[in-house]
Amino acid sequence: MREGYKKIKRMTLFMRVNHWVVALCMVAAVITGLYIGHPYYQSLISEPAVNKYIMAWNRWIHFMAAIIFDVSSIVIAYLYFFSRFEKPYKKLIPNGKNISEFFAVLINLLTLNRVKKFDSSHEDSFHIVYFTIFHILLLWMLFTGLQLYVHGLESGISSIGSWWPWLLHIATDWTIAVCGGTNMDVRYAHHFTMYLIIVWVMFHIYYVVWRTIFWREGDIAIVFGGYKFAKEED
Amino acid sequence: MNREALRGLFTAKSAKVNTNKGEAYYKELYKRCQKRLEELKNLTPVNKVSISEILEDEGVSRRDFLKWASAVTAMLMLPSSFTPLVADAAQLMNRVPVIWIELQDCAGNSEALLRSDGPKIDEIILDIISLEFHETLMAAAGHQAESQLEDAMEKFKGRYLLFVEGAIPIGAGKEWCTIGASGETFEEHLKKVAKNSAAVIAVGTCATFGGVPAAAPNPTGAVGVMDIVRGKPIVNIPACPANPANMVGVILHFVLTGQIPELDSLLRPKFAFGYRIHDNCERRAHFDAGEFVEEWGDEGAKNNFCLYKMGCKGPMTFNNCSIVRYNEAVNWPIGSGHGCIGCSEPDFWDKYAYERPMADANIKAPTGGVEKSVDEFGLGLLTAAGVGIAIHAAASAVLGKRDKEGEE
Repeated sequence: MREGYKKIKRMTLFMRVNHWVVALCMVAAVITGLYIGHPYYQSLISEPAVNKYIMAWNRWIHFMAAIIFDVSSIVIAYLYFFSRFEKPYKKLIPNGKNISEFFAVLINLLTLNRVKKFDSSHEDSFHIVYFTIFHILLLWMLFTGLQLYVHGLESGISSIGSWWPWLLHIATDWTIAVCGGTNMDVRYAHHFTMYLIIVWVMFHIYYVVWRTIFWREGDIAIVFGGYKFAKEED
Repeated sequence: MNREALRGLFTAKSAKVNTNKGEAYYKELYKRCQKRLEELKNLTPVNKVSISEILEDEGVSRRDFLKWASAVTAMLMLPSSFTPLVADAAQLMNRVPVIWIELQDCAGNSEALLRSDGPKIDEIILDIISLEFHETLMAAAGHQAESQLEDAMEKFKGRYLLFVEGAIPIGAGKEWCTIGASGETFEEHLKKVAKNSAAVIAVGTCATFGGVPAAAPNPTGAVGVMDIVRGKPIVNIPACPANPANMVGVILHFVLTGQIPELDSLLRPKFAFGYRIHDNCERRAHFDAGEFVEEWGDEGAKNNFCLYKMGCKGPMTFNNCSIVRYNEAVNWPIGSGHGCIGCSEPDFWDKYAYERPMADANIKAPTGGVEKSVDEFGLGLLTAAGVGIAIHAAASAVLGKRDKEGEE
């Protein structure tokens, strides 16, 4: 370790594993979701239908990825409030300290690191708000996705009992009204939100790399090793 | 948003179909239906036609009729012990007067009843209902027709079923749609006839959700019956045209029990609209296999592959046509090689009826009124974000200040 720097733990092992599980799920859900929206590869292979099952596998992967995604989000939402390591909700409360930190970090980004008036060793308010946007997008995907899913459970029964479609209707039927009144609108919304999530990921990767390059504190290492480095106070 | 709208939002009923309500329930219902049919038998029929005679004339045997009755019993989700009651109810259908009005429509639902290749039992049954007033079918015209409607409304006050076909214009231009010598608008006409009805049955997608007249830009401000009529039981039987089997089902249910059938959140009878087309489609295996028709008449089309890539909307459409089909199970759109256009869903003309999958829909994305597909807009958004990031990265590389510590 370089002289004059100290190691700061930023992500626990669980948080890191969760991050990569979510990342994989997202890639899988986008690849299969695009196929479900418009089957983009060729299927006229001279084999009987029973041996192929291509759409069914795509949907299987999509649903599995979604369920893992959803469950991990629920865990993260819990950790927002009850983590023993770091409680992100504290950075979301719009008090004076958080608001000024939010703008300080934003100004740092906009001034290309020429102005840096905050402590970058710990998680900052701007970053937490950004992550929260992701979780809201995910929650929206969860509700619209489960609404689309329950269309196939119209008999009211499922392999795990009739409480499940019942619960899905209670929890997600409002998305039809919010999206515009038809089942189709929910599909549009679900499809469109995918693009918002991809945009989110683009900036997320860019911003972490940018921090690593300009702050010189090894931010990108957080998600692999759990630590970043900050200058020792003199 | 007001409280009522919010409450509606969170209490929307699901499409769940409860097909078994327990023995006690059906025993009770059986007794109730028997009693109701006895009462109807004692009423003088409005017309003197006898169903058995008509069926015989059309060449339908008693055996065929009973087969039909057991099929309808199953469709109405009643136990098979109800079959004799359903057969009885069919013979008593001329005791229930029906008034049929047409508004902004193409008469397609009437046509669906009348123009089948040979009348099937469903259509014959609809022939013998006591149709007191039907503009397209009746001989009377002008003042004569109007007075006939007045008479029927007076004579069967509170007892008749009102069938409505067609949308109701309430926007600018509604005054072009008038009926009768007094120049009643369709809205006034509907309200007047609905006032003394026992129940209102909206037939076809125009009458239920506005349908084609309500398609963008909806020049007449067309809406469905449920947006106009208040304080009456309303049953929606959407589809373009509505399936005669479902119309018969609703009337039979009313004759049998004196009540309208169980409805979903869009007021559609659950016995008919509790099924998703996709889940009972004969081409479903090809969907799961990823075998799609890529263009009309290709190898896939010849092999009855799935029509999803040709824009089939079966996965988002609730209707029973993949089960009962049309013209007494002769065929249905997907069976003849064209995808479902979602004709029984709200806004179907704008949001379902195109021969492309959803991802290529070219629906209006939130770009300020320019017609763009979600994908084009999404790609635009991604490009914009990429450009923004690239500008920031380039600016950072040229002008950015790296923290000095750790510089080699």
